[in-house]
Amino acid sequence: MRRIHDLDEAALALGLFAGQKVADAMALVPDLHLADAEPEADDRALAALVDWCVRFSPAVAPAPPDGLFLDISGVDHLWGDEPGLMQDFGHRLKTNGLGVRLAIADTPGAAWALARFGPDEVIASPGEQARALAPLPPESLRLDPADTAQIRRLGIHRLDQIMDLPRAPLTRRFGIGVLTRLDQALGRSREALTYRRPPSPWFARLALAEPVSTLSDLERITTDVTARLCARLETSGQGARRFELTFHRVDGRPESLSLGLAAAARDPVRIARLFHPRLETIDPGFGIEVVTLRGEAVETITGRQIGLEAGRTHAPEDGLVPLLDRLTNRLGPERVWRSTPVDSHVPERSVRPGPVLSRTATRSWDPLQPRPLRLFRSPEPVEGVIALTPDDPPRQFRWRGQVHRVRHAEGPERIGEEWWRGPIETVSVSHVRDYYRLEDEAGARFWIFRAGLYDPAVAARWWMHGLFS
Amino acid sequence: MTRYAELQTLSNFSFLQGASHPWELVLTAAALGLEAIGLTDRNSLAGVVRAWSALRDLPPSDHRLRVLTGCRLDLNDGSPSLLCYPTDREAYGRLTRLLTLGQRRTVKGQCQITREDVLAHAEGQLFLVVPPPRLDETFRRDLEHLQGELRGSVWLAAARAYGARDLQRLSQLAALATSTRVPMVAVGDVLYHRPDRRPLQDVVTCIREGCTLEAAGLRLQAHAERHLKSPAEMARLFARFPGVVERSTEIAQRIGFDLSDLKYEYPGEPVPEGKTAMGHLTDLTWEGAAWRFPKGIRPQDARKIEHELDLIERCQFPNYFLTVHDIVRWARDQDILCQGRGSAANSLVCFCLGITSVDPTRKNHDLLFSRFISEQRGEPPDIDVDFEHERREEVMQYIYRRYGRERAAIVATVIHYRPKMAIRQVGKVLGLTEDVTGALAGMVWGYGGSSLPEEHIRQAGMDPDNPDIHRAVTLASELLGFPRHLSQHVGGFVLTRRRLDETVPIGNAVMKDRTFIMWDKDDIDALGLMKVDVLALGMLTALKRGLDMIPPEDGRKITDIAEIPPEQPEVYDMLCRADSVGVFQVESRAQMSMLPRLKPREFYDLVIEVAIVRPGPIQGNMVHPYLRRRSGQEPVNFPRPSLPHPQDELEQILKKTLGVPLFQEQAMRIAIEGAQFSDNDADGLRRAMATFRNHGSVNRYKDRFLSGMIERGYEEAFAQDCYSQIEGFGSYGFPESHAISFALLVYASAWMKWRWPDAFCAALINSQPMGFYSPAQLVRDAREHGVEVRPADLMASDWDCTLEDRPGHRLRAMRLGLRQIKGLSEAEARALIQARNEGAKSLEALARTPGLTRRSLELLAEADALAGLGYGRREALWAVKGLDLRTGTETPLISGARGKEIQVQLPLMSLPVQVREDYRTTRLSLKAHPCSFFRPHLTSLGTVTAASLADLKNGRRTGVAGLVLNRQRPSTANGVVFMTLEDETGASNIVIWKDVFTANRRTVMGASILAVHGQLQNVEGVVHLVAQRFTDLSHMTARLQDETSGPGPDRLQPSRDFH
Repeated sequence: MRRIHDLDEAALALGLFAGQKVADAMALVPDLHLADAEPEADDRALAALVDWCVRFSPAVAPAPPDGLFLDISGVDHLWGDEPGLMQDFGHRLKTNGLGVRLAIADTPGAAWALARFGPDEVIASPGEQARALAPLPPESLRLDPADTAQIRRLGIHRLDQIMDLPRAPLTRRFGIGVLTRLDQALGRSREALTYRRPPSPWFARLALAEPVSTLSDLERITTDVTARLCARLETSGQGARRFELTFHRVDGRPESLSLGLAAAARDPVRIARLFHPRLETIDPGFGIEVVTLRGEAVETITGRQIGLEAGRTHAPEDGLVPLLDRLTNRLGPERVWRSTPVDSHVPERSVRPGPVLSRTATRSWDPLQPRPLRLFRSPEPVEGVIALTPDDPPRQFRWRGQVHRVRHAEGPERIGEEWWRGPIETVSVSHVRDYYRLEDEAGARFWIFRAGLYDPAVAARWWMHGLFS
Repeated sequence: MTRYAELQTLSNFSFLQGASHPWELVLTAAALGLEAIGLTDRNSLAGVVRAWSALRDLPPSDHRLRVLTGCRLDLNDGSPSLLCYPTDREAYGRLTRLLTLGQRRTVKGQCQITREDVLAHAEGQLFLVVPPPRLDETFRRDLEHLQGELRGSVWLAAARAYGARDLQRLSQLAALATSTRVPMVAVGDVLYHRPDRRPLQDVVTCIREGCTLEAAGLRLQAHAERHLKSPAEMARLFARFPGVVERSTEIAQRIGFDLSDLKYEYPGEPVPEGKTAMGHLTDLTWEGAAWRFPKGIRPQDARKIEHELDLIERCQFPNYFLTVHDIVRWARDQDILCQGRGSAANSLVCFCLGITSVDPTRKNHDLLFSRFISEQRGEPPDIDVDFEHERREEVMQYIYRRYGRERAAIVATVIHYRPKMAIRQVGKVLGLTEDVTGALAGMVWGYGGSSLPEEHIRQAGMDPDNPDIHRAVTLASELLGFPRHLSQHVGGFVLTRRRLDETVPIGNAVMKDRTFIMWDKDDIDALGLMKVDVLALGMLTALKRGLDMIPPEDGRKITDIAEIPPEQPEVYDMLCRADSVGVFQVESRAQMSMLPRLKPREFYDLVIEVAIVRPGPIQGNMVHPYLRRRSGQEPVNFPRPSLPHPQDELEQILKKTLGVPLFQEQAMRIAIEGAQFSDNDADGLRRAMATFRNHGSVNRYKDRFLSGMIERGYEEAFAQDCYSQIEGFGSYGFPESHAISFALLVYASAWMKWRWPDAFCAALINSQPMGFYSPAQLVRDAREHGVEVRPADLMASDWDCTLEDRPGHRLRAMRLGLRQIKGLSEAEARALIQARNEGAKSLEALARTPGLTRRSLELLAEADALAGLGYGRREALWAVKGLDLRTGTETPLISGARGKEIQVQLPLMSLPVQVREDYRTTRLSLKAHPCSFFRPHLTSLGTVTAASLADLKNGRRTGVAGLVLNRQRPSTANGVVFMTLEDETGASNIVIWKDVFTANRRTVMGASILAVHGQLQNVEGVVHLVAQRFTDLSHMTARLQDETSGPGPDRLQPSRDFH
């Protein structure tokens, strides 16, 4: 059963609520717009936001699913004071379309509670946590919802009521959790947050003593910076499938080249060589003072990569991969592909361009359904067909002006339309093609089809769809 | 002219593979001029009876078709599949035993058979070997082996697949046939009757594979050639292989078995020494007559008994009656309440044998015994017996014990595609999102129906002309009525004399140790096998519980329904007031508004009341004419045929219902008398309506019915009305005999409600879930009838509701049971009750109960059920949470050291919060009604109380407010929504016309407390408010709280709704 995970203000205004069955919600609002919840995407978005927040403080901790902690000790003076920081922070998030509620307090627990249940943009004065928290509801203690509900059932609706309860009986009934959370919020005990660690980027930088601009210099620094990054990749057993090479000119304008590989790699010589032919396109202006190389799509490579220079024998792929990389980077990725079979009865759909190197095992062609080596992109008309009705193979036909007499024939192989692509009213059992495999007296083999079932009232239309070897 | 018999056909009983109904295949085969058609569903005989009876319904002159009974055996040892046709009754028995063996070995819906099993059951069978896709050496060896074992009765089936290398393959097969001496025979390898079923076949393939059409690829068929083909077309396709097409008819001719060979195999009943079965039955009947008629039987009734016995003897049914009698007698011995329903109520013998409780000698019960047993029909009678819901299992176990698993089994129920599931699955296959299909599916709910009207699609916010939607709806409509899987029928037993597994395959049910046969009750009916329906009726359970609780009447303890004092005027007075909450059948909103208009004064009025509020009479426009005639506003006249036909032919049929046909029997007799149907035709018509809903023959009957009546001089409009009523019965059949059985339960439950409302309420609550009303409403009703209701309390309650003496009062007080507390474990509650009964008097002592969890005590505390121990709600929860429950020791309890702890003062709980907590924990409150807290506000909104509505004049504009109890949109009401509100004074009925509903949909569907303004309808004691304006007061529940508390729960009580 599907339930509402979360909803926007318009939906809230209609009286819908999180946790409601979708069916019930649809009964109330039939034209409700629904999107599938993506908790992983939410986590990623929160992680991205946490990364972004580093500009305010180096210590940021996510508070999933929908919050984060920012440790602003010692940084608020950069904005003048705490309100200044809060104002700037909130403003930037809001201009980016994020709805936020903010609170500043002595402890993470108090800040969490105030941000959710206190007035917006509240700042609890140092040492005043208890007073700020007093009117907040039990939900603000980050407890198990079942416990919170029972606390309320006892008639306890405010945190100050909890603060007034004797501690031992309370712990006896609700465990140590309630007091721990209360103490953390009040600053009586510490709470350890897990701060985010920025991922170390696969990035190498080479600053030059003086600007360079000749092609040979560009080649040299490309080789150097590549070696630097690849050494790091090698150490950690990684390789990258994309590289971005950026030349930072003296005038501050960057010039970039990017490189895509069929398989993850870290061989510095090979990677540099793939860049070299394209360095001509770089306009150095008044000179280049910094060069950077970033590796992307980084993944683990098992085993040592064998260099091209190595005199040892190696598997065909080892030679094929650099060739394919060179072809791809010269001709463009859309021009180098491999045909892969597709499970479809319709011949033109039964083949599809696929990635050049694919580890997935491909299905082999079915000998009971012979398909021509060369399939025409669009079938060509065939004239002068002599064949017995309703569905015997042709005995003679004319194609590209030449008459062919059929010596051997197989078929028909009947293939119906993919009826679900058109309106259901137009589906017809006569929308078929009857395919024949024909061999003429010269030994040439053809793949011919008649469009539609035999109909004495309509002249049959024949098409050439491919040639066998 | 080539002759051809199609021997390889899958119907849609090869679930999600075949794409045509058996009857479609049979009709098409007949039209194509085939010699025979054999259904060969995969390891299944589930569809064969339908195919066989479809042929039986065809006029023999139109065709020369035979339907052969067979199946395809898919073996799980890698052997090629075999098409198997038994040649005679004994061989058929071996086939069903083989399938039983294969099914019993594995889980429901599967079958495991090896070639060895087949060879062990091969005597008398003809086999066609289905060649695998690749013809290799293994297959040759398989063929040689089969030829060696089955010499002379095995063939090689060859089909034209329209693949690239058909001729090559056929030549290979022909060569194999020659070299292995297994003759080749042409087959169609059929998946559907006509080529235009290809899209649907693709769809079911995708449903089976769990993929979309887009992704299905080679799992689909390449073309539409898997349909039935004419002999001439088969001859053309196999022109190069002379003789293989005709060979199919030679095989067909060798098959002598027909399903009609299965008839008349009743189990024999043990009969006392020296007596015949008939003699025994006669003795039992007269003994029963003496018991039923202690004052002596009237001569005309004695003659009736003799007549019935005579007919039973001539039809050779005595064993059947002895069997049913035995089951019923056993149940009575076990003190299990039971009652026969259906056409058995027409029989005085059944009444004497105790099978039914309806006395057919009573006034107006001039039922036709011939409706029950007809010599011409030659079919066994149909006896359905209802047992107490909770004890039916015992009866079923008794039948198994008595007849053994070899001779008794439950029949199947064929689960068909309904609109909701069809649109969901088709939509998924077509790649529509779940939200689109969900919205479409949501709209068709409750329309029971057979189509997806465009209007509903628009209601769901979709455009029916959108190609994707249109495609989905078209295909889903085509899929409707397709069988999806077999399931176990609730209580239909089939009993046979010889081993049952030699008549029909038996398979495992999902439930452990349960088995059921492959055929459903219609199949059993069609074949004339013996069936007894052992049904469960919740009201019988409730009545039994109630009877157990009431004191003796006039010094006599009532133990049976037939002993309840009949025809008490006060019972009818109560029903005329529509005071019928909890009464069987007549408690629904529609029945309640009918009661004051129909004003039942005697038993037969209840029979009509039960039958009239049904879709059949409503759709047939029979209700208002009947009411007008009954109240004298319209003269009673009977449509007459033209001369010289007997002028009173309809008067005889329709007299007791004032000229308006209300019962199925009447409709059938009109067909016979008025439209000149033969008994068989009339029965065929009824069957066509009731079971094979998509059957093409229905229209054939319609034309004959209408033209027959018009020819005889009846008005066309009357004929049309009669016909639409029969149509209505098709889906919701309610024969008079059935109505009589139900009316008896109406009277019995109404009597108990009038005489002993305390026992009645307790019995109903203890039998929940059942009926229309929640315990809250039953409790309110009981209090209105003077019953004192006491709260559930650990120190006073049992698990069930009990009655406590109230000195000085005739009625006792009802103590709510702990069952009322939501989420409480029955086992723990019963353990606590036992501890209490053994003397535990404190929370600490009760906490020592073994197996007790803290959760149960918390639930009791929150439900205020520890009040008897002196705790308030909050104090109880605080105390329970403070108890020390030690784990891992023999006694998992421990008393809390309550005295030593610092005392805590918890805030007092206000009355509104008490009420809210009552609703949350027990779904009702005895303390107050939530609306009572808002009354000043409700008054200021211009509403009155529910109770005062009845005092207002018809047509007054007014308003009423309350908790929303339920919302209904009956399929017969053209989109009108009915809603029931409840306030502290009672319930009020709201009618919402379709356009008003559409305009206020969200409020109507969403609100938990609602104020409704509109115009009052107050006619003949039926009070409705026709809604015009709504005010959502759901936020008022937030007021049910302490001053300082946060938001309360959204709803007090879930409403029972349509979607």
